[in-house]
Amino acid sequence: MYVGGMLTKELVAASTEPLILSLLSRGESYGYALIQEVRRLSGDQIEWTDGMLYPVLHRMEDNGWIKSRWVAVENGRKRKYYLLKKDGHQVLKDKREQWTLLNTVLNGLWQEQVV
Amino acid sequence: MFNLEAAILEWRRQMRAAGIKTPDHLDELESHLREEIGRQMKAGRSEAEAFQTAVQKIGRAQKVQTEFAKVEASQTSRERKLKEVLLLGCSILMPLMVGRAVLVRGPGTVGMTAGQQWSCLVAMAAFALMIWGGRLGGYRFPVIRARRRRNVINLSGIVLVALWWLVFFRVIVPGRDFTMAQFLVAFIWAFFIPAGVLLGMTLGLETAARSGRGAA
Repeated sequence: MYVGGMLTKELVAASTEPLILSLLSRGESYGYALIQEVRRLSGDQIEWTDGMLYPVLHRMEDNGWIKSRWVAVENGRKRKYYLLKKDGHQVLKDKREQWTLLNTVLNGLWQEQVV
Repeated sequence: MFNLEAAILEWRRQMRAAGIKTPDHLDELESHLREEIGRQMKAGRSEAEAFQTAVQKIGRAQKVQTEFAKVEASQTSRERKLKEVLLLGCSILMPLMVGRAVLVRGPGTVGMTAGQQWSCLVAMAAFALMIWGGRLGGYRFPVIRARRRRNVINLSGIVLVALWWLVFFRVIVPGRDFTMAQFLVAFIWAFFIPAGVLLGMTLGLETAARSGRGAA
């Protein structure tokens, strides 16, 4: 998933699922749009390797967190849209708690060190 | 002269050769490729350049396939495949065993007529056909990717079949005056046909879910 930018490979890997879940919680979307949106939100710092997103989406669908459907777009093409399911909302909530906890602890420590 | 459609077809062929064989996965990657090509061309690149850049961005086919394979080869996946092999094995073994019993010992021990023997063989053949039909005709089944929903459906089926068996043994059988041979025929039909329907449906749903198609 990692191409270049600020984050380590491990962080990119760990943050993929919460990022996808959070983006989909705003509404239905498709793979290409998800990649562009993450790049935009991160100021080009998070660049997912395009092809690697799809196995992650498939795993999340297998887990029952999201579901997909094909939609016809112009030029006779089609796109696979993903939608967050009830289980996915719950998983997002859990992950959000975990990341918030980490954030709180780290910020607390770093604030202490500000002179 | 660069032919985009031909280039995309060739790219698809290479992805398949690298192991990404599921049409649904390929379609999704191709859809992505076309979006990227469109974006590159809007930025001023030629068709050929846009195609090259887009292909590079998708990433090496081998790596993508490895990731897809990891999802496939997860623990649950291996268990599921084992169960499937066992089920298919039983679907051949049981008809053979029952068939042998019916043909060899049926007439003598129990007093089966030829018609009754045929009836049992037909039931066992239907049993095997339904299971294999589910496995081979998986593409006809609705795609339910979430494992939990499939489990709920299978469980409901099991409960229904169990209820039927209860009704059969507690209500139907005692209520009728079966000879031993008649009872055997009735039992084989009442037991194996619902079991075949249930197992065939389970296999069909599993196969459809693995196919990678999106729902609808």
